[in-house]
Amino acid sequence: MMTMFEVLGFEFFRNALVAGALASVACGIIGTYVVVRRMVSVSGGISHAAFGGIGLGYFLGIDPLIGAAGFTVATALGMGALQLRARQQMDTLIGAVWAAGMAIGILFVYLTPGFAPDLFSYLFGNILLVPRGDILLMTLLVVIIVAVVAFLYRELQAVTFDPDYATVMNLPVERLSLLLLVLIALTVVMLIRVVGIILVIALLTLPAAISRLYTTRIWSMMLGAVALGIIFTVAGIWLSYLANVPSGATIILVSTLVYAGALGVERLRQGD
Amino acid sequence: MSAPVIDVDDVWVRLRGQTVLEGVSLAIYPDDFYAIIGPNGGGKTTLLRVILGLLAPAAGEVRILGSTEAAMRKNLGYVPQFRTFDFEYPITVREMVLSGRLGHITRRPRRYDAEDHARAEEALETMRIADLADRQIRDLSGGEQQRAIIARALVGDPKVLLLDEPTVYVDAPTEAQFYGILDRLRDRMAIVLVTHDIGVLPDHVTRVACLNRHLYTHDTNEITPDMLEAAYHCPVDLIAHGVPHRVFPEHSRDDDDV
Repeated sequence: MMTMFEVLGFEFFRNALVAGALASVACGIIGTYVVVRRMVSVSGGISHAAFGGIGLGYFLGIDPLIGAAGFTVATALGMGALQLRARQQMDTLIGAVWAAGMAIGILFVYLTPGFAPDLFSYLFGNILLVPRGDILLMTLLVVIIVAVVAFLYRELQAVTFDPDYATVMNLPVERLSLLLLVLIALTVVMLIRVVGIILVIALLTLPAAISRLYTTRIWSMMLGAVALGIIFTVAGIWLSYLANVPSGATIILVSTLVYAGALGVERLRQGD
Repeated sequence: MSAPVIDVDDVWVRLRGQTVLEGVSLAIYPDDFYAIIGPNGGGKTTLLRVILGLLAPAAGEVRILGSTEAAMRKNLGYVPQFRTFDFEYPITVREMVLSGRLGHITRRPRRYDAEDHARAEEALETMRIADLADRQIRDLSGGEQQRAIIARALVGDPKVLLLDEPTVYVDAPTEAQFYGILDRLRDRMAIVLVTHDIGVLPDHVTRVACLNRHLYTHDTNEITPDMLEAAYHCPVDLIAHGVPHRVFPEHSRDDDDV
């Protein structure tokens, strides 16, 4: 077995680490809003709808991730528009979108002649197969996310904290909410390469949820979540290499264990 | 008398097939301490939401300082029903109070300037929570949280302060302190207090209206025959809450459709 240092000599391994770090930045920032605004199930719906786009991509013979990007953004905008109008049945709606996205994907994959390569990696991720072009795209996305959040920090805080008050303050609440949903959709697409559709929701929410326990501001929660995300992905990639098991699942299990541990410690502290 | 700060003009609201507000008209003047009482489900919160621009009426309009423009809402200070937003949100008291300035900022992207910060410190001082400014709102007591919410409403220099059932979740000493605060604010702005609890009203209030789909207005600050007339149109058991020693006439079913 090679040491970490020797493994770093391989481009695919370096790409994996860079992809993991980029994904962690996006997750830490966007996941923070998902956690504080309690949009976990909406994000789950968006990420599973992505499978419809993957299937469409296969069917049309284009990059499945392009299909996924189109599908998730459209789903996010659609759900956002519905959420602002019919609040009551939102959880049912999310469930329907969740399943329909998967169903559409399955039909398209079935209708596509021949074998669908890499289908499994879209579902469960394979960070060791991230190509160079994707790294560039991920970098671009991270730059966009950081810029938008830096620009609209106060507005997004007001809208996610108390949307009614933000409306009274005459902020464009609807447009800001939709913008946030689009950013979630794009982050989800970015994470598909890393951990796959099924596991996206964990990487999006767990670092932010753990960071929440130790921070008092949105920005410090984001910084903590980014750092935790990087630790989880690097540890997950390394452990999966050592044990020769899938990387995406390992990253998620590392995150979940730390989350459980943090909750347990928090519980003990409050018990005093 | 000067021009009204808020002018609600023949507002009708239908929600899920039910008429919630029926031709409600109401004018709030700068020196008013206006109490709107009525049973739960009578449309009190709905009326506030229409005034605040959170709900579009089916008919009628709301003018703030004579204008229907959305930007006029920056002249409103709003104290929502306690616990209508998430107190677990990671935000400090100062950040929350500062966010009340967002309606006044015209630069894009919005940034707080020295004036915004000065106003925030002032509002924190007024509510006597300056020493809590860097604490998270979830770490405050109920009374402190409520004062922080009022500070957020005050920081925008409102012409009128709208309070929705402000004393429901606070204990008696906090409630007394709360009405003391309102008395201090009265000479700076109009106050509209929406509540089903009329036990404290006579000492503080200049005008009272009773809302139960219709609005029954009375230019008086005491529980007089006029006031009873207003209460008469509301279910008596709810109105009598907090006024155990006062006897109201029995509610008559026939008057429901007045």
